[in-house]
Amino acid sequence: MTWVRIPPEAGPEASAGLAGQQGAGAAAQGGAGAAGQGGAGAAAQGGAGAAAQSRRPPAGPLGVLGWLRWGWRQLTSMRTALILLFLLAAGSIPGSLLPQEGINPAAVSQYYTSHPALARLLGGLSLFNVFGAPWFAAIYLLLFASLVGCVLPRTLRMVGSSRQPPPRAPRNLSRLPFAVRHVTAVAPEAALESAARVLSAKRFRVRSGPGWVSAEKGYLREAGNLLFHIALLGCLVSIGLGGLLGYKADRLLVAGSSFSNTVTALDEFHPGRMVSPGDLQPFTVALDRFRASYVTSGPLTGQPSSFEAAIRYSAAPQAPMRSFVLSVNHPLEVDGVRVFLIGHGYAPTFRVTDGTGHVVFDGAVPFIPVETSGLTSEGAIKVPDADPEQLGFVGVFLPTAVDVGGRLESAFPAPLHPMVSLVSYGGNLGMNSGSPQSVYSLDTAGLHRLPVAPQPLAAGQSIKLPDGLGTLTYTGYRQWISLAITYDPGQAPALFSGVAVLAGLLLSFFVRRRRVFVRAQAAEAGGSVVDIGGLTRSDAAGGFHEEFAGLAAEISGYQGPDPGHDPPEDE
Amino acid sequence: MFRLPSPVRRAAAAPGARRAAVGAAVCAAAVLGVAACDGGATAQDTAVGNGSSFVTGSYGTTVVKAGSRRAAPEVSGTMLAGGTFKLSADRGAVLVMNFWGSWCTPCREEAPALGALARTLSGADVRFIGVDIRDDPASAEAFMRTFRIGYPSLNDPNDTVALDFGGTVPPAGIPTTLVIDRRGRIAARIVGPVSYNGLKALVTQISAERS
Repeated sequence: MTWVRIPPEAGPEASAGLAGQQGAGAAAQGGAGAAGQGGAGAAAQGGAGAAAQSRRPPAGPLGVLGWLRWGWRQLTSMRTALILLFLLAAGSIPGSLLPQEGINPAAVSQYYTSHPALARLLGGLSLFNVFGAPWFAAIYLLLFASLVGCVLPRTLRMVGSSRQPPPRAPRNLSRLPFAVRHVTAVAPEAALESAARVLSAKRFRVRSGPGWVSAEKGYLREAGNLLFHIALLGCLVSIGLGGLLGYKADRLLVAGSSFSNTVTALDEFHPGRMVSPGDLQPFTVALDRFRASYVTSGPLTGQPSSFEAAIRYSAAPQAPMRSFVLSVNHPLEVDGVRVFLIGHGYAPTFRVTDGTGHVVFDGAVPFIPVETSGLTSEGAIKVPDADPEQLGFVGVFLPTAVDVGGRLESAFPAPLHPMVSLVSYGGNLGMNSGSPQSVYSLDTAGLHRLPVAPQPLAAGQSIKLPDGLGTLTYTGYRQWISLAITYDPGQAPALFSGVAVLAGLLLSFFVRRRRVFVRAQAAEAGGSVVDIGGLTRSDAAGGFHEEFAGLAAEISGYQGPDPGHDPPEDE
Repeated sequence: MFRLPSPVRRAAAAPGARRAAVGAAVCAAAVLGVAACDGGATAQDTAVGNGSSFVTGSYGTTVVKAGSRRAAPEVSGTMLAGGTFKLSADRGAVLVMNFWGSWCTPCREEAPALGALARTLSGADVRFIGVDIRDDPASAEAFMRTFRIGYPSLNDPNDTVALDFGGTVPPAGIPTTLVIDRRGRIAARIVGPVSYNGLKALVTQISAERS
């Protein structure tokens, strides 16, 4: 047996690969098509050519349709997608530099008062509402169109390509990267038939013609490619779906109280486009206890070691309450909604009696931690309905109060020695005009400070306000947790699509499409000359060499089901 | 189906667009093969937001034509001043239900108008009921004294009333005022502070319906 090894031609193979957006599949196919003379290859090469041409503006007169086609090609090119992606990133920069209406309307109105001219200009450009701005919407809609416009046609092309039969065998097999020739005693027809049988047994897709057999394997690569593209579309759609039908919300919950998932009970609510307040899943969450554990010795003293919130919840108004322990990264899942524990703090409780003797405030006031080593927290108590004048207090809560050179500080985050220090105000809190204000700070513009000796309070102690304005008693403290509520119906499909994207990508990377062609013609001395050619469609042939050699050996040595034949002669 | 007579109708809030934008960005990242990771928050990230700590909603009035109204849910609960409330007991009268809190600045803005209107209209034909949310009873009662609110309020610490309205025309922010017609169907919803004249016209119109 004589093996004639012909070195591979570098030409058509070099262009193969998963590079260009338009042309990746097409170029690879074109590369194979050049050698394989297949109709599919030629068609795909035409497609690649068109893609390459689309980079240039068309020359000569073009109809409206032509311009539309050109514009669409531009939009769906990889370059445009990248530019749009960059614009999207650049466009969100002002969203984090400037105050945003959806997030902090108070800061926006503050900006308008401090820089009126500039604010009007910026407001005109929607820079205070970047994520709702028409220009921002234009960018992401174009990006979406660009991606879909790129992926969809490729998907369709891939469907076609994965269903194609192998191309006709090329006339001259010796020009293929892998080629061998041998002479056998059997007739050409029988040689071809046995070759086809070998290839079929190896699960090649086989096509026969007069004097030739062509076979192709590795369609799984196309299937992988297809899966990748469909999953990519699935990813786009499911993320879009999540954006339309999902929502995010926040709620601060004081121990001993509860709330329901309804807009009026939420601190922040960011609904998707198609979410209305009636769509919220009607669950209720009650916080019984919150416990934070802290490291009590060593260099990490004061560092939190665990957070646990003992809650009860019900999935629907009449459903029974169930217990659950909420901790960091262990969210509550109810009705498809996830409730995360994202923060905690202290809410000292106060009772305020006004000048007329009425109890005008009796409840917990969440204070916000301003530092982590001792959880020193700040907050404001607003008593707008005190008579004869409105009362306000700003205060500091110290979980573990210690005297450091005449100044109180909190030495530890756990409530070992909780104390509250308050500054008292009387006057107008500015709450009756309707403009929103922070519940954690006091707008002192309409207030006057009351002459009360600053003296830290322990639980049960009171401040007697001057001029018969009333009394404030610090009655104790509770803990609060902050919850992030997220509903994203696109999450599961997005994850599924993501996994499928990877699987498809791996398949298309690791499965090679390879073709084997066999031609047999009658030899002058009887028997036949059999040419076997092989072609694989990736830059690195790795592995195909051995596979091809094995196949060639098997084809040339094939005995067939009938053992009566002579073994093929060696040359 | 819905008629929107009020000119006060703000554009829908932006966050939807923002989510979509983030979605598009994530998608694009996926296209580029960049794995987007939804980082978990740590326990010390306090969700303080704008600090006003309640959802004002998009202000606006929704009036539902008599033919397409949905029945209000059965609402029952305990009053701030004690005693119980049953929504169905007010069948036959137009019921104005106001969701409020003593801490809520727009509620304080609308309270004088609401209190005055209740004194003018309340009777056998028109009833007013408040639903006090996220409040302590002492503050709520002080609020009612300040604004001379003569009608009673439900104490709703668990937001059950708002929850009961879920799936119909639920309150979409604080304050929200619902007008329920004589047959116990939700006829109108006002999100944001009401005006004396606006609410008066609305209630008069709904109470004039013969059905």
